[in-house]
Parts: sequence; C-alpha cells; structure tokens
Amino acid sequence: MKTLGRILIILVVMALVMGITYAAVSASGSSGAPGVEPRFEEGGRPPFREGQFEGEGHEGREGGGWMFGLIKNVGIIAVLVTLIVLPKNARRKRKRTLAAG
Amino acid sequence: MSEIQSSSKKLTRVKLVVDLLIFFVFLIAMDPRSSGVAVHEWLATAALAALIIHLLLSWDWIAQISRRFMRRVNVQTRINYILNWLLFIDGSVMMLSGFMISEAVFPSLGIELPRNFAWRPLHDMTANLFLLLLGLHTALHWGWVVDTFKLSSIR
Repeated sequence: MKTLGRILIILVVMALVMGITYAAVSASGSSGAPGVEPRFEEGGRPPFREGQFEGEGHEGREGGGWMFGLIKNVGIIAVLVTLIVLPKNARRKRKRTLAAG
Repeated sequence: MSEIQSSSKKLTRVKLVVDLLIFFVFLIAMDPRSSGVAVHEWLATAALAALIIHLLLSWDWIAQISRRFMRRVNVQTRINYILNWLLFIDGSVMMLSGFMISEAVFPSLGIELPRNFAWRPLHDMTANLFLLLLGLHTALHWGWVVDTFKLSSIR
C-alpha cells in the first residue's frame, strides 16, 4: 500500500510537469491537425526516420559508423565524471595528508 | 553479520544493478541511430518503469532531504537534490515530447496525437540536457558506485 502510494506520488508529479509543458507548448500555437505531416516550407523539420541521427541535425552522418552516437554519449558522461571526481579525490587526499602530517 | 545489515547490503546491491540497467538502457535509447526508432521508443517507454523503481529505492533519501531541505543540509546534498529534481523534470519533458512525436509506440497502439512543430526541437534539447545532467548525476554518485562495487565483490 505504501509503495503504491509512492508510485502514485511519482506519477502525479510527472503528470503535473507534463501537463504544464503540454499547456505551454499548446499555447505557443504552432500545432497542426492530427495526421497531417508537417511540410518543410512551413518551418517544420522532417519527421524522424530510422538511420538518422537525432539531436544535432540529421545531415552529414552517412558512413560515420552506427556506434558513433553511443560512444559519443559514453564519452560525454566519462568526461563529466572525470572532471568532477578527479579534483574531488585529489582535494580529499590532500586533506588527509595534511591531517596526517 | 546481523539480519538488518545483510538486508541493507542486499538492497544496496539491488539498487546498483537497477541503476546500471537504467544507465545502459538510456545509453542505448539515447542513440536512435544505433538502435532504430522502434527500439528507441519502446526502451524509453520501458525506462519509465525502471525510473519509478529507481525513485522507490531512493525514497527514504528523497523524503528525508525534502523535509530537511529548508533547514540544515550540506552543500553537496543540496546540489544533489536540486540536480535530481532537474533530471526528473527534464526527463518528464523529454518523455512527453518523445510521446508527442512518436512514430512507433503510439501509432502501433492506434493513438494519433496532435502535431506541433515545437515538440521535436524540445525533444532534442531536453535529450541533450538529459545527457549532461545524467553525467553530473553519475559523477556525484561515483563514490557510491565504487563503494558498492567493492562491497559486492567482498561478499
């Protein structure tokens, strides 16, 4: 029962965030009729198709290796972890050395 | 070892396994070029359940910090808490925008959603931000990950 209540809280908060976003995007007023594919001349972007790269423009990635995006994402996370964890560990080590000496 | 210690160790291990699973699922889902749109969408939808499990396993910490947030909480915990909220909000917006431009999950269920040109750029933007926040989240919990790995390997 407790777990169910917690799940409900999570879902309600999520629905709240989604609802606010939906209202904000709808209010921006660039919607079209259901089932109508946006045309490029109208300022829309082409619908996503398999084999395309999401997020940074869909051009110029042919033959770039299908694992590129995956490796790039791991790389970004690894860089962030290294940038934060290494100085933190060094600071901790220095503190320990100072305390010992 | 007492029963409480043993069950706490077990829970920590479960948490690590769930977290690793979510991490790898997100890595695969976040690159639709590698996985394909259908896998991208279904994995991301399934990740919602995994995310709920992740939050349930961390519920005590969330509840504790939520209660103490306005009072005495150290800086790192405060940053961590705010970052987690940002991750949750960004993840929710990313999921919603993903649903709105769905080409596999919703059409296969026979659901047609209203088109809006704003959803795709919003989805791209929130996905990029999510990756950044996920990196920060991982970095802030790196000590816990390493400790739990060590704990699991000692047995």
